[in-house]
Amino acid sequence: MSDKTILICDDDEGILDMLELVLEETGYRIVPVKNSLHIYDEIEKQNPDLILLDLWMPVLSGDQVLRTLRKNPDTRALPVIVISASREGERIANEAGANSFLAKPFDLEMLVNRVNEMIAA
Amino acid sequence: MDSLNQGEFSFSNDTIKQDLSLLIQALDSSISGIILTDNQQPDNPIIYCNKSFERMTGYARHEIIGHNCRFLQKEDRNQKERLLLRKAVEDGAECVVEIRNYQKNGTLFWNELYMSPIKNEQGVVCYFIGVQNDITRRKKAEMELLHQQEIMESQIRQRTKSLKESEDYLSSIVQTVRESLVVLDPAFKVLSINDHFLKTFKVSKEETEGKLLYELGNGQWDIPKLKELLENILPTNNPVEEFEVEHDFPHIGKKLMLLNAHRIELEGQYKDRILIAIEDITDRREIERRKDDFLSIASHELKTPLTTIKGYVQIMQRLMPDSADDKFKDILRKTGIYVERLNSLIAELLDMSRIQTGNIELHKEEFDFDKAIHEAVENIQAATKTHRIIISGKATNNYAGDESHIVQVINNLLSNAVKYAPESNEVKVYLSRVSNFLKVAVTDAGMGIKIEDQKRIFDRFFRVGEIQQRFPGMGIGLYVCDQIIKNHGGTLWVESEPGKGSTFSFTLPLEERNTNER
Ligand SMILES: Cc1cc2nc3c(=O)[nH]c(=O)nc-3n(C[C@H](O)[C@H](O)[C@H](O)COP(=O)(O)O)c2cc1C
Ligand SMILES: Nc1ncnc2c1ncn2[C@@H]1O[C@H](COP(=O)(O)OP(=O)(O)OP(=O)(O)O)[C@@H](O)[C@H]1O
Ligand SMILES: [Mg+2]
Repeated sequence: MSDKTILICDDDEGILDMLELVLEETGYRIVPVKNSLHIYDEIEKQNPDLILLDLWMPVLSGDQVLRTLRKNPDTRALPVIVISASREGERIANEAGANSFLAKPFDLEMLVNRVNEMIAA
Repeated sequence: MDSLNQGEFSFSNDTIKQDLSLLIQALDSSISGIILTDNQQPDNPIIYCNKSFERMTGYARHEIIGHNCRFLQKEDRNQKERLLLRKAVEDGAECVVEIRNYQKNGTLFWNELYMSPIKNEQGVVCYFIGVQNDITRRKKAEMELLHQQEIMESQIRQRTKSLKESEDYLSSIVQTVRESLVVLDPAFKVLSINDHFLKTFKVSKEETEGKLLYELGNGQWDIPKLKELLENILPTNNPVEEFEVEHDFPHIGKKLMLLNAHRIELEGQYKDRILIAIEDITDRREIERRKDDFLSIASHELKTPLTTIKGYVQIMQRLMPDSADDKFKDILRKTGIYVERLNSLIAELLDMSRIQTGNIELHKEEFDFDKAIHEAVENIQAATKTHRIIISGKATNNYAGDESHIVQVINNLLSNAVKYAPESNEVKVYLSRVSNFLKVAVTDAGMGIKIEDQKRIFDRFFRVGEIQQRFPGMGIGLYVCDQIIKNHGGTLWVESEPGKGSTFSFTLPLEERNTNER
């Protein structure tokens, strides 16, 4: 249905699996990244149209990743949806330059709608 | 002595007689009693008394003449004045005494007696003259005064004793409290400190008392924030409570202190002394912070698998063929509901911990209050099939506060209103403004709350007894609501009648008219 690519970066395998299942169904190509240290390589290789990014990850946290992306001219405009179970998640996401935020646990329909919107934009 | 005839002096010479009668008249008009006794006769009998003596004693002349004057003492014969009088009579000397005498009818009167001898040329005491004054009034007053004085003295003794006792008592309290106490004079010199201060700050009484606060321990108490409190804040905001001061002390390290300061305004010797109570909250803060951290991590970790579970449940719901068994559909729907419950429990737990430690952060921003409430109501309505939520009225479209917290309050109140009114089908939300407050009221027609439970439902973990078994919940919803409303400077309360229903209302202060009245 579409040739768009979505990169999902989350240290939790369960969430990666589940999101892959849902989003593949919608026809996007999914790139799961479990170790946030590899995210820059994957972005370069896969050239995603949208990133779903967790915040609390070991070693390199989501907001650090996001800040780096926003500094780099190549990725400055790359749409990023932050997904997090942290209570401060929304604030942290906004401050780091996220385009959108969804609190975990999220509603799937809401997530899919949000993804569609972002990719269409 | 025939010259004395019936109390009258009789002389042969007429002019002398005339003079004498004047004299007698004079004696009779005296207000003092006057008598003469004849010392030459046995037992010194009274040979003359004036009218005033009769009046004073209540005896008639015929009951007086011939008696020794001691009859006035009646049975009261053991007075030391009697001995004085006897001695004076024996010695033929003058004397003045105050003696208790009794009237004929038994009434006591205080007799101020002046007695003096009359001697002949040979120096023999022939007569005595006695002058009596009734000084009962004066004596009574004196006695009363004395009594009063005694009472007062004993009261003073008593008070001094109890003062001493209460002083000891107070000082033992002061020494026992687990809080540091300091008393300063108006120039910030340390007058006294308690044991706990010595222990906490590892100093001795000698190096502290009598020294200037700022100079203690090489100036380690010269803390800018403390100076600010003592010199700028306290003079105009007496007393100051819960003033936080953080300071790195050379030997004992960083301390976080909570201070109460009180300047004595009472006139008197203690005026302008300053009392400071210092609570060391260093450890407590650290523990609270760690607990919050722990709960944040725990809730994050719990929510992560929950996200996956929720996702799969939703996928199952989507993948479920229309032909699927109704029972199966229902089970899946319920699974979804309980996943949601688990999620909100985790959130509540974290909230509660933070609220309890005062770490709940308010992100105050202006927002459209009425719109936010309407949206919250719509969201709850969408998930509630059993009740119709009717919203009416207007509060404000511009309120500065933490929107997500306020929404949480309305959500909790609505979920209670629905939960605890299973037999009804309507919940009312009413928005209004009262004076410079906005007001929100949530009314249900449910089971209501007994008056004795109405206060306690705002406590943590309190749930009305009979509800425990029938409805799920932890009993923290209202506690969180109450704290949030308080943090916004408002109040939350309930009015309810068992069996009829409940109205939970809260008010929030609106910013004083700096934004133009709409
Ligand atoms: C002139 C004179 C007046 C006296 N007036 C009184 C009197 O008013 N009241 C009284 O109690 N005793 C009075 N006394 C004292 C008693 O008469 C008596 O001397 C006293 O009680 C001591 O004596 P006693 O120990 O024999 O009683 C008077 C004595 C004299 C000489
Ligand atoms: N609208 C209401 N009508 C009757 N009783 C109520 C109502 N709201 C609250 N209560 C009583 O007050 C108690 C405390 O309410 P609260 O919202 O704090 O906790 P809860 O609803 O039991 O659990 P949860 O923490 O999940 O909200 C309830 O258990 C219930 O007994
Ligand atoms: Mg509740």
